[in-house]
Amino acid sequence: MSALLEVEGLSKDFGGLRAVDALSFSVREGAILGLIGPNGAGKSTVFNLINGVFAPDQGRVVFRGEDITGKPPYRVARHGLARTNQIVQPFANMSVLENCTVGACFGRENLSLARAREAAREAAALVGLDDRLDALASQLTIAGKKRLELARALAARPTLLLLDEVLAGLNPTEVEHMIGIIRTIRDSGVSILMIEHLMQAIMSLSDSIVVLNSGAKLAEGLPAEVANHPAVIEAYLGDPDLAAKLRAA
Amino acid sequence: MLGLLASILDGVLIGAVYGLAAMGITLIWGVMDVVNLTHGAMIVAGMFGTYLFVSAVGVPVYATLPAVLVGGFLAGVALYWIAVHRVIGQPPLMSLLSTFAVNLVLVGVGTAVWGTDLFNVPASLPGFSLGRYTFPGTHIMAAVLTAAIAAALYLFLYRTRTGKAVRAVSGNREAAELVGIPTARVLALSFGLGTTLACVAGMLIATMFPFTVLSGDAYQLKSFVVTVLGGLGNPTGALVAGIALGLLEGVTTPFVPVSWTLVIEFVLFVVVLIALPGGLMQLWQRR
Repeated sequence: MSALLEVEGLSKDFGGLRAVDALSFSVREGAILGLIGPNGAGKSTVFNLINGVFAPDQGRVVFRGEDITGKPPYRVARHGLARTNQIVQPFANMSVLENCTVGACFGRENLSLARAREAAREAAALVGLDDRLDALASQLTIAGKKRLELARALAARPTLLLLDEVLAGLNPTEVEHMIGIIRTIRDSGVSILMIEHLMQAIMSLSDSIVVLNSGAKLAEGLPAEVANHPAVIEAYLGDPDLAAKLRAA
Repeated sequence: MLGLLASILDGVLIGAVYGLAAMGITLIWGVMDVVNLTHGAMIVAGMFGTYLFVSAVGVPVYATLPAVLVGGFLAGVALYWIAVHRVIGQPPLMSLLSTFAVNLVLVGVGTAVWGTDLFNVPASLPGFSLGRYTFPGTHIMAAVLTAAIAAALYLFLYRTRTGKAVRAVSGNREAAELVGIPTARVLALSFGLGTTLACVAGMLIATMFPFTVLSGDAYQLKSFVVTVLGGLGNPTGALVAGIALGLLEGVTTPFVPVSWTLVIEFVLFVVVLIALPGGLMQLWQRR
Protein backbone atom coordinates (compact mmCIF):
# COMPACT_ATOMS: atom_id res chain seq x y z
CA MET A 1 0.00 0.00 0.00
CA SER A 2 1.38 3.35 -1.01
CA ALA A 3 1.10 6.67 0.81
CA LEU A 4 -1.91 8.77 -0.20
CA LEU A 5 -0.99 11.80 1.86
CA GLU A 6 2.52 12.68 2.92
CA VAL A 7 3.25 15.44 5.38
CA GLU A 8 6.93 16.36 5.53
CA GLY A 9 8.53 18.61 8.14
CA LEU A 10 5.46 20.79 8.58
CA SER A 11 5.92 23.83 10.87
CA LYS A 12 3.71 26.78 11.72
CA ASP A 13 4.27 29.68 14.12
CA PHE A 14 1.55 31.90 15.48
CA GLY A 15 3.20 35.08 16.76
CA GLY A 16 6.26 33.35 18.20
CA LEU A 17 4.32 30.37 19.44
CA ARG A 18 5.20 27.17 17.59
CA ALA A 19 1.84 25.51 16.94
CA VAL A 20 3.19 22.74 14.72
CA ASP A 21 6.82 21.68 14.89
CA ALA A 22 8.57 19.78 12.08
CA LEU A 23 5.79 17.24 11.85
CA SER A 24 5.99 14.35 9.40
CA PHE A 25 3.59 11.48 8.87
CA SER A 26 1.77 9.74 6.07
CA VAL A 27 -1.65 8.25 5.47
CA ARG A 28 -1.73 4.96 3.58
CA GLU A 29 -4.37 4.30 0.96
CA GLY A 30 -7.48 2.68 2.43
CA ALA A 31 -6.38 3.21 6.03
CA ILE A 32 -7.63 5.17 9.01
CA LEU A 33 -4.96 7.24 10.74
CA GLY A 34 -5.83 8.67 14.14
CA LEU A 35 -4.32 11.93 15.30
CA ILE A 36 -4.45 12.31 19.07
CA GLY A 37 -2.88 14.52 21.69
CA PRO A 38 -3.75 16.72 24.67
CA ASN A 39 -5.80 19.89 24.16
CA GLY A 40 -3.79 22.55 22.38
CA ALA A 41 -1.38 20.02 20.88
CA GLY A 42 -1.98 21.51 17.44
CA LYS A 43 -4.20 18.84 15.93
CA SER A 44 -6.72 21.17 14.28
CA THR A 45 -3.87 23.39 13.08
CA VAL A 46 -2.41 20.37 11.29
CA PHE A 47 -5.75 19.96 9.48
CA ASN A 48 -5.77 23.64 8.62
CA LEU A 49 -2.25 23.35 7.18
CA ILE A 50 -3.15 20.29 5.14
CA ASN A 51 -6.20 21.75 3.50
CA GLY A 52 -4.88 25.25 3.01
CA VAL A 53 -6.70 27.34 5.59
CA PHE A 54 -3.21 28.40 6.70
CA ALA A 55 -0.01 28.18 4.68
CA PRO A 56 2.77 26.40 6.59
CA ASP A 57 5.98 28.28 7.43
CA GLN A 58 8.00 25.21 6.52
CA GLY A 59 7.41 21.78 5.11
CA ARG A 60 5.37 20.17 2.36
CA VAL A 61 2.02 18.50 1.96
CA VAL A 62 1.96 15.94 -0.84
CA PHE A 63 -1.37 14.41 -1.83
CA ARG A 64 -1.46 11.59 -4.38
CA GLY A 65 2.01 12.51 -5.51
CA GLU A 66 1.10 16.17 -6.04
CA ASP A 67 2.47 19.03 -3.95
CA ILE A 68 -0.56 20.88 -2.55
CA THR A 69 1.33 22.98 0.01
CA GLY A 70 -0.24 26.40 0.49
CA LYS A 71 -2.96 25.96 -2.12
CA PRO A 72 -6.23 27.69 -1.15
CA PRO A 73 -8.84 25.42 0.50
CA TYR A 74 -11.15 25.30 -2.51
CA ARG A 75 -8.33 23.96 -4.72
CA VAL A 76 -7.36 21.38 -2.12
CA ALA A 77 -10.99 20.26 -1.97
CA ARG A 78 -10.98 19.74 -5.73
CA HIS A 79 -8.03 17.39 -5.42
CA GLY A 80 -10.35 15.03 -3.55
CA LEU A 81 -9.54 15.97 0.02
CA ALA A 82 -12.69 16.66 2.01
CA ARG A 83 -13.01 17.82 5.59
CA THR A 84 -15.53 18.06 8.39
CA ASN A 85 -15.27 20.76 11.03
CA GLN A 86 -14.99 20.39 14.76
CA ILE A 87 -17.74 22.96 15.15
CA VAL A 88 -20.44 22.08 12.62
CA GLN A 89 -20.76 24.56 9.78
CA PRO A 90 -23.85 23.71 7.75
CA PHE A 91 -25.30 26.04 5.12
CA ALA A 92 -28.10 26.92 7.52
CA ASN A 93 -30.26 28.52 4.81
CA MET A 94 -30.37 25.33 2.74
CA SER A 95 -32.02 21.94 3.01
CA VAL A 96 -30.11 18.77 3.85
CA LEU A 97 -30.24 17.70 0.21
CA GLU A 98 -29.01 21.08 -1.02
CA ASN A 99 -26.15 21.08 1.50
CA CYS A 100 -24.95 17.76 0.16
CA THR A 101 -25.59 18.79 -3.45
CA VAL A 102 -23.31 21.79 -3.02
CA GLY A 103 -20.69 19.46 -1.57
CA ALA A 104 -20.97 17.20 -4.59
CA CYS A 105 -21.06 20.01 -7.15
CA PHE A 106 -17.79 21.62 -6.30
CA GLY A 107 -15.77 18.74 -4.95
CA ARG A 108 -13.43 16.42 -6.80
CA GLU A 109 -15.71 15.41 -9.64
CA ASN A 110 -17.23 18.78 -10.46
CA LEU A 111 -20.60 17.16 -11.16
CA SER A 112 -23.57 18.68 -12.95
CA LEU A 113 -26.50 19.66 -10.76
CA ALA A 114 -28.58 16.56 -11.57
CA ARG A 115 -25.72 14.13 -10.98
CA ALA A 116 -24.64 16.03 -7.89
CA ARG A 117 -28.13 15.53 -6.48
CA GLU A 118 -27.75 11.77 -6.94
CA ALA A 119 -24.39 11.75 -5.19
CA ALA A 120 -25.95 13.88 -2.45
CA ARG A 121 -28.78 11.37 -1.94
CA GLU A 122 -26.30 8.50 -1.71
CA ALA A 123 -24.18 10.35 0.83
CA ALA A 124 -27.24 11.30 2.89
CA ALA A 125 -28.43 7.69 2.85
CA LEU A 126 -25.04 6.45 3.99
CA VAL A 127 -25.15 8.61 7.14
CA GLY A 128 -28.84 7.89 7.73
CA LEU A 129 -30.24 11.29 6.83
CA ASP A 130 -32.32 10.08 3.87
CA ASP A 131 -35.57 10.73 5.71
CA ARG A 132 -34.66 14.37 6.41
CA LEU A 133 -33.63 15.45 2.91
CA ASP A 134 -36.00 18.42 2.77
CA ALA A 135 -35.41 19.64 6.32
CA LEU A 136 -33.51 22.90 6.71
CA ALA A 137 -30.01 22.30 8.03
CA SER A 138 -30.70 24.72 10.89
CA GLN A 139 -33.56 22.50 12.07
CA LEU A 140 -31.40 19.42 12.66
CA THR A 141 -30.23 18.30 16.11
CA ILE A 142 -26.51 18.42 16.92
CA ALA A 143 -26.19 14.74 16.02
CA GLY A 144 -28.05 15.45 12.77
CA LYS A 145 -25.76 18.36 11.95
CA LYS A 146 -22.70 16.22 12.61
CA ARG A 147 -24.01 13.62 10.21
CA LEU A 148 -24.84 16.33 7.67
CA GLU A 149 -21.29 17.66 7.96
CA LEU A 150 -20.04 14.17 7.14
CA ALA A 151 -22.55 13.64 4.31
CA ARG A 152 -21.64 16.95 2.69
CA ALA A 153 -17.96 15.99 2.73
CA LEU A 154 -18.73 12.50 1.39
CA ALA A 155 -20.95 13.76 -1.40
CA ALA A 156 -17.85 15.16 -3.05
CA ARG A 157 -16.62 11.55 -3.33
CA PRO A 158 -13.23 12.34 -1.80
CA THR A 159 -10.27 10.00 -1.71
CA LEU A 160 -9.21 11.30 1.70
CA LEU A 161 -11.49 12.50 4.45
CA LEU A 162 -10.27 14.66 7.33
CA LEU A 163 -12.58 14.19 10.32
CA ASP A 164 -12.21 16.73 13.12
CA GLU A 165 -13.93 15.34 16.22
CA VAL A 166 -17.05 13.99 14.54
CA LEU A 167 -17.89 12.08 17.72
CA ALA A 168 -17.70 15.03 20.11
CA GLY A 169 -21.04 16.01 21.61
CA LEU A 170 -22.81 12.77 20.64
CA ASN A 171 -24.45 10.42 23.14
CA PRO A 172 -23.22 6.78 23.37
CA THR A 173 -25.86 5.44 20.96
CA GLU A 174 -25.05 8.13 18.42
CA VAL A 175 -21.32 7.49 18.85
CA GLU A 176 -21.87 3.81 18.11
CA HIS A 177 -23.88 4.67 15.01
CA MET A 178 -21.23 7.13 13.81
CA ILE A 179 -18.43 4.60 14.32
CA GLY A 180 -20.37 2.20 12.10
CA ILE A 181 -20.70 4.90 9.45
CA ILE A 182 -16.97 5.68 9.57
CA ARG A 183 -16.15 1.98 9.09
CA THR A 184 -18.51 1.79 6.13
CA ILE A 185 -16.83 4.80 4.58
CA ARG A 186 -13.38 3.27 5.02
CA ASP A 187 -14.57 -0.04 3.58
CA SER A 188 -15.85 1.82 0.51
CA GLY A 189 -12.23 2.78 -0.19
CA VAL A 190 -11.99 6.26 1.28
CA SER A 191 -8.93 6.86 3.44
CA ILE A 192 -9.48 8.74 6.67
CA LEU A 193 -7.38 11.01 8.86
CA MET A 194 -9.20 11.70 12.09
CA ILE A 195 -8.81 13.75 15.24
CA GLU A 196 -10.72 12.38 18.19
CA HIS A 197 -10.79 12.73 21.94
CA LEU A 198 -12.85 9.60 22.58
CA MET A 199 -9.94 7.24 23.17
CA GLN A 200 -11.83 4.00 23.00
CA ALA A 201 -13.37 4.96 19.69
CA ILE A 202 -10.20 6.11 18.00
CA MET A 203 -8.16 3.19 19.31
CA SER A 204 -10.61 0.69 17.88
CA LEU A 205 -11.15 2.53 14.58
CA SER A 206 -7.58 3.48 13.63
CA ASP A 207 -5.12 1.33 11.74
CA SER A 208 -2.35 3.47 13.17
CA ILE A 209 -2.01 6.45 15.47
CA VAL A 210 0.11 9.57 15.58
CA VAL A 211 0.42 11.27 18.97
CA LEU A 212 1.00 15.01 18.98
CA ASN A 213 2.27 17.04 21.91
CA SER A 214 3.05 20.76 21.74
CA GLY A 215 2.93 20.60 17.96
CA ALA A 216 5.56 17.85 17.63
CA LYS A 217 5.20 14.13 17.06
CA LEU A 218 5.54 12.24 20.31
CA ALA A 219 4.89 8.73 19.10
CA GLU A 220 3.59 6.78 16.14
CA GLY A 221 2.46 3.22 15.64
CA LEU A 222 -0.29 0.69 16.03
CA PRO A 223 -2.95 1.67 18.59
CA ALA A 224 -1.70 -0.94 21.09
CA GLU A 225 1.92 0.19 20.76
CA VAL A 226 1.02 3.84 21.19
CA ALA A 227 -1.18 3.20 24.21
CA ASN A 228 1.72 1.58 26.07
CA HIS A 229 4.37 4.03 24.93
CA PRO A 230 5.98 5.58 28.04
CA ALA A 231 6.28 9.06 26.52
CA VAL A 232 2.62 9.04 25.57
CA ILE A 233 1.51 8.02 29.02
CA GLU A 234 3.73 10.72 30.47
CA ALA A 235 2.26 13.38 28.17
CA TYR A 236 -1.19 12.43 29.32
CA LEU A 237 -0.22 12.29 32.99
CA GLY A 238 -1.40 15.86 33.42
CA ASP A 239 -4.73 14.27 32.67
CA PRO A 240 -4.62 10.97 34.62
CA ASP A 241 -8.13 10.16 33.53
CA LEU A 242 -7.07 10.11 29.90
CA ALA A 243 -3.97 8.06 30.70
CA ALA A 244 -6.14 5.43 32.33
CA LYS A 245 -8.45 5.37 29.34
CA LEU A 246 -5.47 4.95 27.02
CA ARG A 247 -4.38 1.87 28.88
CA ALA A 248 -7.87 0.47 29.05
CA ALA A 249 -8.41 0.83 25.31
CA MET B 1 -62.29 56.77 -5.51
CA LEU B 2 -61.14 55.72 -8.94
CA GLY B 3 -58.47 58.40 -8.63
CA LEU B 4 -57.11 56.81 -5.46
CA LEU B 5 -57.17 53.37 -7.03
CA ALA B 6 -55.27 54.66 -10.03
CA SER B 7 -52.75 56.35 -7.75
CA ILE B 8 -52.27 53.13 -5.78
CA LEU B 9 -51.83 51.01 -8.90
CA ASP B 10 -49.31 53.46 -10.30
CA GLY B 11 -47.53 53.42 -6.94
CA VAL B 12 -47.28 49.63 -7.15
CA LEU B 13 -45.73 49.84 -10.63
CA ILE B 14 -43.11 52.32 -9.42
CA GLY B 15 -42.62 50.42 -6.18
CA ALA B 16 -41.58 47.32 -8.10
CA VAL B 17 -38.58 49.29 -9.34
CA TYR B 18 -37.71 50.33 -5.77
CA GLY B 19 -37.87 46.64 -4.98
CA LEU B 20 -35.47 45.87 -7.85
CA ALA B 21 -32.94 48.38 -6.53
CA ALA B 22 -33.31 47.03 -3.00
CA MET B 23 -32.75 43.47 -4.21
CA GLY B 24 -29.27 44.58 -5.21
CA ILE B 25 -28.50 45.89 -1.73
CA THR B 26 -30.00 42.90 0.01
CA LEU B 27 -28.15 40.43 -2.23
CA ILE B 28 -24.78 42.02 -1.45
CA TRP B 29 -25.57 42.25 2.25
CA GLY B 30 -26.80 38.67 2.38
CA VAL B 31 -23.76 37.23 0.66
CA MET B 32 -20.92 39.29 2.16
CA ASP B 33 -22.31 41.40 5.03
CA VAL B 34 -21.33 44.62 3.28
CA VAL B 35 -23.53 47.71 3.41
CA ASN B 36 -22.98 48.89 -0.13
CA LEU B 37 -22.97 52.68 -0.26
CA THR B 38 -21.96 52.73 -3.93
CA HIS B 39 -25.52 51.70 -4.69
CA GLY B 40 -26.84 55.23 -5.26
CA ALA B 41 -23.92 56.08 -7.52
CA MET B 42 -24.56 52.93 -9.56
CA ILE B 43 -28.26 53.78 -9.87
CA VAL B 44 -27.13 57.12 -11.33
CA ALA B 45 -24.60 55.30 -13.51
CA GLY B 46 -27.51 53.29 -14.91
CA MET B 47 -29.44 56.51 -15.59
CA PHE B 48 -26.55 58.25 -17.33
CA GLY B 49 -25.42 55.12 -19.12
CA THR B 50 -28.87 54.84 -20.63
CA TYR B 51 -28.96 58.56 -21.41
CA LEU B 52 -25.58 58.54 -23.15
CA PHE B 53 -26.32 55.38 -25.09
CA VAL B 54 -29.69 56.66 -26.29
CA SER B 55 -28.38 60.09 -27.29
CA ALA B 56 -25.15 58.81 -28.86
CA VAL B 57 -26.40 55.75 -30.74
CA GLY B 58 -29.99 56.84 -31.11
CA VAL B 59 -31.48 53.47 -30.22
CA PRO B 60 -34.80 53.19 -28.42
CA VAL B 61 -34.34 53.30 -24.67
CA TYR B 62 -35.25 49.66 -23.94
CA ALA B 63 -32.66 48.45 -26.45
CA THR B 64 -30.00 49.63 -24.01
CA LEU B 65 -31.02 46.97 -21.49
CA PRO B 66 -28.40 44.37 -22.51
CA ALA B 67 -25.66 47.01 -22.41
CA VAL B 68 -26.82 48.20 -18.98
CA LEU B 69 -26.89 44.61 -17.67
CA VAL B 70 -23.42 43.78 -18.92
CA GLY B 71 -21.91 47.19 -18.09
CA GLY B 72 -23.40 47.14 -14.60
CA PHE B 73 -22.07 43.66 -13.96
CA LEU B 74 -18.55 44.50 -15.11
CA ALA B 75 -18.56 47.74 -13.13
CA GLY B 76 -19.67 45.84 -10.04
CA VAL B 77 -16.97 43.20 -10.39
CA ALA B 78 -14.37 45.95 -10.83
CA LEU B 79 -15.72 47.82 -7.78
CA TYR B 80 -15.49 44.63 -5.76
CA TRP B 81 -11.80 44.03 -6.50
CA ILE B 82 -10.94 47.72 -6.10
CA ALA B 83 -12.87 48.73 -3.03
CA VAL B 84 -14.46 45.77 -1.29
CA HIS B 85 -12.28 42.65 -1.48
CA ARG B 86 -9.66 43.87 0.98
CA VAL B 87 -12.21 44.83 3.63
CA ILE B 88 -14.19 41.57 3.49
CA GLY B 89 -14.27 40.03 6.95
CA GLN B 90 -13.17 43.31 8.55
CA PRO B 91 -15.45 45.24 10.91
CA PRO B 92 -18.53 46.60 9.05
CA LEU B 93 -17.33 50.19 9.42
CA MET B 94 -14.46 49.44 7.02
CA SER B 95 -16.63 48.44 4.10
CA LEU B 96 -19.06 51.21 4.92
CA LEU B 97 -16.28 53.81 4.67
CA SER B 98 -14.71 52.20 1.64
CA THR B 99 -17.93 52.08 -0.38
CA PHE B 100 -18.87 55.57 0.85
CA ALA B 101 -15.51 56.86 -0.45
CA VAL B 102 -16.15 55.28 -3.85
CA ASN B 103 -19.61 56.84 -3.86
CA LEU B 104 -18.14 60.31 -3.19
CA VAL B 105 -15.57 59.87 -5.96
CA LEU B 106 -18.14 58.73 -8.51
CA VAL B 107 -20.65 61.44 -7.66
CA GLY B 108 -17.84 64.03 -7.66
CA VAL B 109 -16.67 63.00 -11.12
CA GLY B 110 -20.27 62.95 -12.35
CA THR B 111 -20.90 66.45 -11.02
CA ALA B 112 -17.71 67.74 -12.64
CA VAL B 113 -18.70 66.32 -16.02
CA TRP B 114 -22.45 66.86 -16.17
CA GLY B 115 -23.10 69.45 -13.48
CA THR B 116 -26.31 69.11 -11.56
CA ASP B 117 -28.74 69.84 -14.39
CA LEU B 118 -31.89 67.81 -14.90
CA PHE B 119 -31.72 65.16 -17.60
CA ASN B 120 -34.43 63.26 -19.42
CA VAL B 121 -34.40 60.03 -21.34
CA PRO B 122 -36.93 60.16 -24.17
CA ALA B 123 -39.15 57.14 -23.66
CA SER B 124 -42.66 56.85 -24.93
CA LEU B 125 -44.85 53.80 -24.86
CA PRO B 126 -48.62 53.68 -25.27
CA GLY B 127 -50.25 53.85 -21.86
CA PHE B 128 -53.17 51.95 -20.45
CA SER B 129 -56.36 53.87 -19.81
CA LEU B 130 -58.71 53.35 -16.92
CA GLY B 131 -61.59 55.80 -17.19
CA ARG B 132 -60.11 59.30 -16.99
CA TYR B 133 -56.78 57.96 -15.78
CA THR B 134 -53.91 56.73 -17.92
CA PHE B 135 -51.06 54.61 -16.61
CA PRO B 136 -47.92 55.61 -18.50
CA GLY B 137 -46.55 52.81 -20.66
CA THR B 138 -43.10 53.38 -19.18
CA HIS B 139 -44.38 52.55 -15.68
CA ILE B 140 -46.00 49.35 -16.88
CA MET B 141 -42.88 48.37 -18.83
CA ALA B 142 -40.71 49.08 -15.75
CA ALA B 143 -42.82 46.76 -13.61
CA VAL B 144 -42.84 44.04 -16.28
CA LEU B 145 -39.07 44.17 -16.72
CA THR B 146 -38.62 44.13 -12.93
CA ALA B 147 -40.76 41.02 -12.66
CA ALA B 148 -38.77 39.33 -15.43
CA ILE B 149 -35.41 40.20 -13.84
CA ALA B 150 -36.57 39.15 -10.38
CA ALA B 151 -37.74 35.81 -11.80
CA ALA B 152 -34.44 35.34 -13.61
CA LEU B 153 -32.54 36.08 -10.39
CA TYR B 154 -34.67 33.58 -8.49
CA LEU B 155 -34.06 30.86 -11.08
CA PHE B 156 -30.35 31.63 -11.05
CA LEU B 157 -30.05 31.45 -7.26
CA TYR B 158 -32.14 28.30 -6.77
CA ARG B 159 -31.74 26.28 -9.96
CA THR B 160 -28.15 26.68 -11.15
CA ARG B 161 -24.83 25.42 -9.81
CA THR B 162 -23.38 28.90 -9.61
CA GLY B 163 -26.50 30.16 -7.89
CA LYS B 164 -26.19 27.43 -5.29
CA ALA B 165 -22.58 28.45 -4.77
CA VAL B 166 -23.74 32.02 -4.13
CA ARG B 167 -26.28 30.80 -1.58
CA ALA B 168 -23.73 28.48 0.02
CA VAL B 169 -21.28 31.37 0.45
CA SER B 170 -24.12 33.43 1.86
CA GLY B 171 -24.89 30.65 4.34
CA ASN B 172 -21.33 29.97 5.49
CA ARG B 173 -18.31 31.34 3.67
CA GLU B 174 -15.68 29.14 5.39
CA ALA B 175 -17.61 25.95 4.81
CA ALA B 176 -18.18 26.94 1.18
CA GLU B 177 -14.45 27.35 0.65
CA LEU B 178 -13.85 23.93 2.23
CA VAL B 179 -16.23 22.13 -0.14
CA GLY B 180 -14.39 23.56 -3.14
CA ILE B 181 -16.08 26.88 -3.90
CA PRO B 182 -13.74 29.73 -4.84
CA THR B 183 -15.41 32.15 -2.45
CA ALA B 184 -13.56 35.32 -3.49
CA ARG B 185 -14.82 34.88 -7.04
CA VAL B 186 -18.34 34.19 -5.81
CA LEU B 187 -18.25 37.41 -3.80
CA ALA B 188 -17.09 39.35 -6.86
CA LEU B 189 -19.87 37.77 -8.92
CA SER B 190 -22.46 38.67 -6.28
CA PHE B 191 -21.25 42.24 -6.08
CA GLY B 192 -21.50 42.38 -9.87
CA LEU B 193 -25.08 41.09 -9.77
CA GLY B 194 -26.06 43.54 -7.03
CA THR B 195 -24.58 46.40 -9.03
CA THR B 196 -26.36 45.24 -12.19
CA LEU B 197 -29.66 45.41 -10.33
CA ALA B 198 -28.84 48.99 -9.25
CA CYS B 199 -27.98 50.00 -12.82
CA VAL B 200 -31.12 48.46 -14.31
CA ALA B 201 -33.21 50.11 -11.61
CA GLY B 202 -31.50 53.40 -12.54
CA MET B 203 -32.32 52.85 -16.20
CA LEU B 204 -35.97 52.13 -15.45
CA ILE B 205 -36.26 55.15 -13.14
CA ALA B 206 -34.72 57.28 -15.90
CA THR B 207 -37.52 56.22 -18.26
CA MET B 208 -40.09 57.44 -15.72
CA PHE B 209 -38.67 60.55 -14.06
CA PRO B 210 -36.13 63.28 -14.81
CA PHE B 211 -32.86 62.90 -12.90
CA THR B 212 -29.60 64.62 -11.94
CA VAL B 213 -26.17 63.37 -10.95
CA LEU B 214 -27.29 63.75 -7.35
CA SER B 215 -30.48 61.68 -7.66
CA GLY B 216 -28.71 58.58 -6.35
CA ASP B 217 -28.82 59.50 -2.68
CA ALA B 218 -32.61 59.70 -2.50
CA TYR B 219 -33.06 56.37 -4.30
CA GLN B 220 -30.33 54.76 -2.21
CA LEU B 221 -32.11 55.84 0.96
CA LYS B 222 -35.35 54.44 -0.39
CA SER B 223 -33.58 51.20 -1.24
CA PHE B 224 -32.33 50.88 2.33
CA VAL B 225 -35.82 51.47 3.71
CA VAL B 226 -37.14 48.78 1.38
CA THR B 227 -34.27 46.43 2.24
CA VAL B 228 -35.04 46.67 5.94
CA LEU B 229 -38.79 46.35 5.33
CA GLY B 230 -38.15 43.17 3.37
CA GLY B 231 -35.71 41.72 5.88
CA LEU B 232 -31.94 42.06 5.34
CA GLY B 233 -30.61 39.50 2.91
CA ASN B 234 -34.00 38.42 1.57
CA PRO B 235 -34.42 39.22 -2.18
CA THR B 236 -38.06 38.14 -2.35
CA GLY B 237 -38.79 40.25 0.72
CA ALA B 238 -37.10 43.22 -0.93
CA LEU B 239 -39.34 42.98 -3.97
CA VAL B 240 -42.49 42.65 -1.88
CA ALA B 241 -41.41 45.52 0.37
CA GLY B 242 -40.63 47.71 -2.64
CA ILE B 243 -44.14 47.16 -3.94
CA ALA B 244 -45.50 47.87 -0.45
CA LEU B 245 -43.57 51.13 -0.30
CA GLY B 246 -44.83 52.14 -3.75
CA LEU B 247 -48.34 51.31 -2.63
CA LEU B 248 -47.89 53.52 0.43
CA GLU B 249 -46.68 56.37 -1.78
CA GLY B 250 -49.69 55.81 -4.03
CA VAL B 251 -52.05 56.07 -1.09
CA THR B 252 -50.47 59.19 0.36
CA THR B 253 -49.75 61.30 -2.73
CA PRO B 254 -53.37 62.36 -3.35
CA PHE B 255 -53.67 63.60 0.24
CA VAL B 256 -50.38 65.10 1.37
CA PRO B 257 -47.72 67.34 -0.24
CA VAL B 258 -44.85 65.40 -1.85
CA SER B 259 -42.37 66.67 0.75
CA TRP B 260 -44.17 64.61 3.38
CA THR B 261 -43.61 61.35 1.53
CA LEU B 262 -40.08 60.84 2.85
CA VAL B 263 -41.20 61.74 6.37
CA ILE B 264 -43.91 59.11 6.26
CA GLU B 265 -41.56 56.53 4.78
CA PHE B 266 -38.96 57.02 7.47
CA VAL B 267 -41.48 56.94 10.27
CA LEU B 268 -42.58 53.62 8.83
CA PHE B 269 -38.94 52.56 8.68
CA VAL B 270 -38.46 53.22 12.40
CA VAL B 271 -41.73 51.51 13.28
CA VAL B 272 -40.73 48.40 11.33
CA LEU B 273 -37.27 48.36 12.92
CA ILE B 274 -38.91 48.31 16.34
CA ALA B 275 -41.89 46.05 15.71
CA LEU B 276 -40.58 43.68 13.03
CA PRO B 277 -36.77 43.69 13.06
CA GLY B 278 -36.76 40.76 10.63
CA GLY B 279 -38.81 42.66 8.06
CA LEU B 280 -42.33 42.34 6.69
CA MET B 281 -41.72 38.74 5.61
CA GLN B 282 -41.61 37.83 9.31
CA LEU B 283 -45.40 38.08 9.26
CA TRP B 284 -45.57 35.13 6.86
CA GLN B 285 -42.84 33.06 8.42
CA ARG B 286 -44.42 33.17 11.85
CA ARG B 287 -47.27 31.00 10.67
